[in-house]
Amino acid sequence: MAEVQLINLTKRFGRRVLAVDHIHLTVKDREFLVLLGPSGCGKTTTLRMIAGLEEVSEGTILIDGEDVTYLPPRARNVSMVFQNYAVWPHMTVYENIAYPLRLKKVPRDEIDRRVKEVAELTKIAELLDRYPSQLSGGQQQRVALARAIAVKPKVFLMDEPLSNLDAKLRVHMRTELKAIHHQTQATTIFVTHDQSEAMSMADRIVVMREGRIEQVGTPEEVYEKSANMFVASFIGLPPTNFFYTEVRRENDALKLVHPYFTLTLSPEQAARLKDYTKSRLVLGVRPENLLLTTEDQALFSVEAMVVEPQGSHQIIAFQMDDQIVKIVAPAYPKVWPGERIHVTFRPERIRFFDPETQQAVGDEA
Amino acid sequence: MMDPKIQYRLRKAARQMLLYLVVLTITLVIMTPVYFITVLSFLTTREAYEYPLPLYPTFTIRMKMERGKRGYLLSVWDRNEQAYVSVLDTDDADKMRVYMETYLGLKPSNEQVTEVMQKVDATGGQPVYFAWRRHILSNYATFFRVTRDAVPALIRSLQIAALTIAISLSIGGAAGYAFARYRFYGKNALKFSVLFVRMFPGVAIAIPMVIILARIGLYDRPAGLSLLYSVGVIGMTVWITASIFMAIPVSLEEAAMVFGATRLQAFLRITLPLAFPGLAAAAMYAFIGAWNETVAAIILTEFNPTFSVVVYQTLLGATGQVNLTAAGGMAMALPAVVFTFFIRRYIHQMWGGVTV
Amino acid sequence: MMGTKRARWFSPTLTPYLLVLPVLLYYAAFWLQPVVTVVIQSFRDPVTGAFTLNNFALVLQDKDFWPAFWNTFIIVSISVALEFVVALALSLLIYRRFWGSGIFFFLMLIPMALPPVATGAIWKTGLTAHGWLNSLLIHLGVLAEGKKIYWLGTPRTPKWQLLTLIILVDAWTVIPSVMVILVAGLQNLPREVIEAGYVFGGTYWRVLRDIILPMLRPTIQTAVVLRLISAIQIWLIIVLLFGFSRVPVLVERIVYYHEEVRGLDIAPAMTTGYTVIVAFIVSAAALLYLYLSGAFEGEKAS
Ligand SMILES: Nc1ncnc2c1ncn2[C@@H]1O[C@H](COP(=O)(O)OP(=O)(O)OP(=O)(O)O)[C@@H](O)[C@H]1O
Ligand SMILES: [Mg+2]
Repeated sequence: MAEVQLINLTKRFGRRVLAVDHIHLTVKDREFLVLLGPSGCGKTTTLRMIAGLEEVSEGTILIDGEDVTYLPPRARNVSMVFQNYAVWPHMTVYENIAYPLRLKKVPRDEIDRRVKEVAELTKIAELLDRYPSQLSGGQQQRVALARAIAVKPKVFLMDEPLSNLDAKLRVHMRTELKAIHHQTQATTIFVTHDQSEAMSMADRIVVMREGRIEQVGTPEEVYEKSANMFVASFIGLPPTNFFYTEVRRENDALKLVHPYFTLTLSPEQAARLKDYTKSRLVLGVRPENLLLTTEDQALFSVEAMVVEPQGSHQIIAFQMDDQIVKIVAPAYPKVWPGERIHVTFRPERIRFFDPETQQAVGDEA
Repeated sequence: MMDPKIQYRLRKAARQMLLYLVVLTITLVIMTPVYFITVLSFLTTREAYEYPLPLYPTFTIRMKMERGKRGYLLSVWDRNEQAYVSVLDTDDADKMRVYMETYLGLKPSNEQVTEVMQKVDATGGQPVYFAWRRHILSNYATFFRVTRDAVPALIRSLQIAALTIAISLSIGGAAGYAFARYRFYGKNALKFSVLFVRMFPGVAIAIPMVIILARIGLYDRPAGLSLLYSVGVIGMTVWITASIFMAIPVSLEEAAMVFGATRLQAFLRITLPLAFPGLAAAAMYAFIGAWNETVAAIILTEFNPTFSVVVYQTLLGATGQVNLTAAGGMAMALPAVVFTFFIRRYIHQMWGGVTV
Repeated sequence: MMGTKRARWFSPTLTPYLLVLPVLLYYAAFWLQPVVTVVIQSFRDPVTGAFTLNNFALVLQDKDFWPAFWNTFIIVSISVALEFVVALALSLLIYRRFWGSGIFFFLMLIPMALPPVATGAIWKTGLTAHGWLNSLLIHLGVLAEGKKIYWLGTPRTPKWQLLTLIILVDAWTVIPSVMVILVAGLQNLPREVIEAGYVFGGTYWRVLRDIILPMLRPTIQTAVVLRLISAIQIWLIIVLLFGFSRVPVLVERIVYYHEEVRGLDIAPAMTTGYTVIVAFIVSAAALLYLYLSGAFEGEKAS
């Protein structure tokens, strides 16, 4: 199995487009790493560089310590599941899976054994004689997967392999992919722009924006300890609510003043922010960390604008000046639009951001 | 061991070099003939019959005039010899003028010629050197002037092309649309019809067409030819328009119909504008087909030849001088090449959707 | 409501047929009618109008028939193969997309765009003894001053030389039109499907052989069959270079009897006889190719 290292990796398209901007990343052996980011942030480009389909502009790619930056794709021992499956339409399912093995000069009976084996694993054993045009999207997707598994690569690359499936199948395939990863233990780099997919599958998530890495961490880390405002708002649905506040320092106490409320921070929080000298600070509060409470304990009171019942919980939206704030609250007691609600924060879950740099501040070291 | 990066760069550079070498060679093979016919079309008649032919045309003719045995001796600068070569000895200014016009592409008046002669007299027989510019397009002008029928033939050819576009795009376009949007019985037969229509030699259709067209009074008329050309072009138009319409999602039309448009309105307001560039390309393709066609035109015209027939006759018969023939061929080629320039981006769309 | 009422008799299932109908009528009037006319004529005595096979017999007895047939056969079999291979190589080159490939593509299209008479003018002026080709060779120093090569041959030149020349000139003219179809086909292939070939261990040649070419098969069939059909009908460039009867080919015979020796009393019989024979040969060759290349099987499967 294998470790993948990207050192200073950069890709330019012409002079203008900087698709991937000097990224450093180490993918650990056996890890399931997810590249996550909005459309056009350079996920596909990164993946294609690792596969050898795209020439590297700058930087180095190491697989298991070996420099593969300038090797052709076939010499890298990686396999890829493409977004559109890219199964070969003129070959049967069997041939699709067997062809890469034939290219690698695997003996005939070994090929047959492996094809049967991965077909079993991906549940396409009864489709082996069909042509791709006779398969559904989900089945083609499994063929692509089977083909990728059969070659026993050092690294699996997957570019939004689930994006063309319907919602139900997609969720189902997530589980299967994880199961397969569990069995094969192959280092996997999985690209998606669906954050819930990323959260549910990843060992670690890499959040990218405009060709740069914004944060690398476990799903919990990027969710709970978002490194900056972009990650905080990109991860989680509904996204993190931001409150722009004025900092008041009185003796040792720290007060954050917002047009709707004034929040006095706990001594520990204040201590963590003692190096922060700027006058403005952004509070980041996840929707589930905004709590409904009674009037006397409330930080502020507002009128609910929209309420979306979700069965297990409800999403309440209200307006603060021109900003929409969302709360995820238990399904009961039920809130009605127009109802006056009393809101407070779960104090220990508040995050702080510097409005100028957008970076998180006041984290424990 | 060499740095893999340098190794890679070197290999890549070598590959690039090889690639451009191949590209350059092919470009030369393709462009050399085109270059020479262009040069030829600009040469003076005197140069056009020289051997070896000059590599590029000149538009300034350097001449020398002096006393000759019979009057005035005219010499012309010869690029092969790198010297003045005597070409005409006469005291008749008109004869001298005609020579200049025919062989040197110049258009002097008798007075201008006489003026030079007088200068020779004034210098007491000393050679007089002078250089006259000729018009860049003089061969082209001459071609249209001396070739009987060239201008009316050109007009007829344009009429034929326009009519062919109209016929093939309306009839073929409708079928192409049906092809892209509907499933119907005989679709495959229609797809193959392009081939079947072509399997019968064009000449073989042209010959019986003489009688058919004569019956409806269109023999030797532009309309008659465009009827014939459309037979070949329609099939191709069906293919081309089908793939153009296939590239435009039905959902766009359906969206319009959801908002209350009829199918026709949806087509006119949504699909047609989107397909327009592609259809323009199909029209140019039809133009090129009709404009270039020669074989059927030879058979189906008698007193009203098309432009291509006129050029064919100057080429085959002894009617033309090489440089004028070249000018005619170039005049013929220019519209087709220009249109090709415009449609080159659509070519993959034109050929994309339909295959045997 | 107008719309619904109209919809009742203007049934949607009828729409495609109405759209296709004009093409069918057009073909019937201006393709089928002449074809039938000439086929019927070919079985009739030009003078009495009685049924006869004499026209075909006349053609087969024509001293130029077999030379024309074999010349056509040689030209077609070599040029279709040659043009296809070169066009394929060129289209793969253009598919690579290098700097300047757009302009290169356009330049490649020029010979296709040129009218046959312009092509004729180019090669006629080029290949004569005092033509530009010899001139160029002199300027390049390949040919000694004043010397010349008789490209178009002398009466004693062996026939294969003339045929070679015809094949080369024809290739120059026609390769672009084959290439265009192949380039279009290549550009319409899904990129990722080809890239998958490289990722899974293919070299360029393996991917070309095992993935690109098989996927390109329908395009190749289209290009080759169109080329085959028009290759058998070659004549104009030959006549422009050599005049009539020097290198006889099938279609040239039709034009010869129709235009050049109209007065001859066997001319009408010869014209129709040749016409129908040529049409038969073209159709048979095209269908045979499609059959052998498996185009009809693909029809059934899809
Ligand atoms: N071949 C190319 N030529 C020029 N620019 C390109 C090319 N490929 C990608 N880009 C640009 O590089 C940037 C990154 O593209 P990339 O495909 O990697 O994004 P992505 O993160 O995969 O997006 P998506 O989620 O939409 O797939 C984009 O701005 C894109 O426009
Ligand atoms: Mg992508």
